[in-house]
Amino acid sequence: MINSIKITKEACEGCVNCIRDCPTEAIRVVDGQISIIPELCIDCGECLRSCGRKALGIYEDDWNRIKESTRATIIADPVFFAQFSHYAQPGQLEEVLKSLEINVMIDEAEDAFDLSAYATAQLLNRAPKETLPLISVYCPSVLRLIQFRFPELLSRVIPLHTPLELMADLWKMRTNSDIPLTLLAPCPAKITMIRDPQGRKKSPIDYAVTLRRVARSIMAAGNLSVENGEAPKIKKRNNRWITWARRAGESRHVQAYSEKKLTILAVSGMRNTLDLLQELELGRLRGVDFVECRVCDTGCVGGIGTAESRFLANLRLNNIEADWEITPRELARAEDLYSMDFWSITSEYQPRPRMPLSDNVADAMLKLQQMKEVYAGLPHIDCGACGRPSCQAMAEEIVRGHGSITDCIFKLREGIASLANRIVFLSESQPHTSKRKDQ
Amino acid sequence: MAEPVSLEYKIEGNDYMVAGAASNNIKNTLKMLGIESDVCRRAAVVTYEAEMNLVIHAGGGILKALISEDKIELCTVDEGPGIPDIGKAMTEGYTTASDHAREMGFGAGMGLPNIKRNSDVFEIESTPGVGTQLKSTILFQK
Repeated sequence: MINSIKITKEACEGCVNCIRDCPTEAIRVVDGQISIIPELCIDCGECLRSCGRKALGIYEDDWNRIKESTRATIIADPVFFAQFSHYAQPGQLEEVLKSLEINVMIDEAEDAFDLSAYATAQLLNRAPKETLPLISVYCPSVLRLIQFRFPELLSRVIPLHTPLELMADLWKMRTNSDIPLTLLAPCPAKITMIRDPQGRKKSPIDYAVTLRRVARSIMAAGNLSVENGEAPKIKKRNNRWITWARRAGESRHVQAYSEKKLTILAVSGMRNTLDLLQELELGRLRGVDFVECRVCDTGCVGGIGTAESRFLANLRLNNIEADWEITPRELARAEDLYSMDFWSITSEYQPRPRMPLSDNVADAMLKLQQMKEVYAGLPHIDCGACGRPSCQAMAEEIVRGHGSITDCIFKLREGIASLANRIVFLSESQPHTSKRKDQ
Repeated sequence: MAEPVSLEYKIEGNDYMVAGAASNNIKNTLKMLGIESDVCRRAAVVTYEAEMNLVIHAGGGILKALISEDKIELCTVDEGPGIPDIGKAMTEGYTTASDHAREMGFGAGMGLPNIKRNSDVFEIESTPGVGTQLKSTILFQK
């Protein structure tokens, strides 16, 4: 199991903010320092938001090195185009990147996202009613969450490579080149998508860096479009794919390619995602065709690896004009790509259930009873001082053999109090030689 | 045989916000025992629907789960108005839920049929004016 949260041990002071904010209870503090349980981590980045000491960061490749390589070719997440106040239109940014000798894929992006929307619409239109709703695969954290907490929903996840991967596939098919490709990712989850892909053996993308790093280095260069004097000729783009940067962008794109009117739920934010998936698992979402979940609030623009405020980036997306009229030519191209069938996953999404207390049910039940007993003796205030996110998690770890009851400061205090009482009792008992009646 | 694990939840009537907590808890407990995920899902659905029945119709009640090595038994006991015609209540789409409940998206008349569909053994007893007892058993291996 790979995840892309980087821990700087020296910076960690052992506060417990992150362990309590982690939605999957994946973080522990052991010997004064944080550690992440890789099977539980879904790379959502919530822990980074709560760390005030910069002890948590994002694992990424070295942008300075990539930038220097000849014909650096990048796959930019749609979010990248909403990061700059200077370059309000994607075409302007494209020109600026060209002037910096960075090759950014746009034609492939338009094709890949169109294909993705078209293929999703086809799957939705053809799916038997009882298999609906299907779930978007775009947010890698959502996929991980389903693998680990809602494995019964895996069959509903759209069996499609994500459009970011499809961009790379298309580019490699068209250029037949082995120039390494670099993803500019808005979050650790999309970096993990490159390092540990789901639904395929190997990612077509070679490196991943946060788009924050790249956006900052471009911002540092100042406003490059004005210095050119006259405005460069900007190629007309449909910009539909850019709207995937925020909640419901994908949904709108899928609807644009669908023959029938779809009932779609699009939510963003961890809490909403968890609630929605739970309702779905309980069979409460009848009549819904498609579910789009993003674990970050407002969608990918809210990712922890972005440079710009999610609120401003979201506003900027309002000003980027997307063309929702699908031309017959565009439809034909999507159909062509669809018929090539390189877009569907080549290996099934695998469930990643939590390790049970024991392989043997009888033994696990015994441990569960012990766990209930340990839990009953704990204070139930989930203070985090033991280094675990909750008293429940503490009880579980003790039963699994990691930790001792005195890790709980309340139990420790009880122990000290009873020891102190014992000391008092002992101090009052005298040896026989000093027991003299006349004293 | 290991001693069965017993879980008990008190469900308050008309409390729509916390409904689902018992279901979630039971599902997580089964997962910790290493029970197959389809069984976990069915137990979660049965618990959730039973919980909702207590919330919507019965004015609250007790939900108990007894987990043994080979099965989980889910029981609810309430002192609600009871069900005059169980046959009718088992029909999909039949509902006596209040407008309030239906406005909140509950009470579609799928609860009892859904519980039955997901149970291996299903028993229900009800006396109007006295209350209802429901028992659903799900086997771990068939």
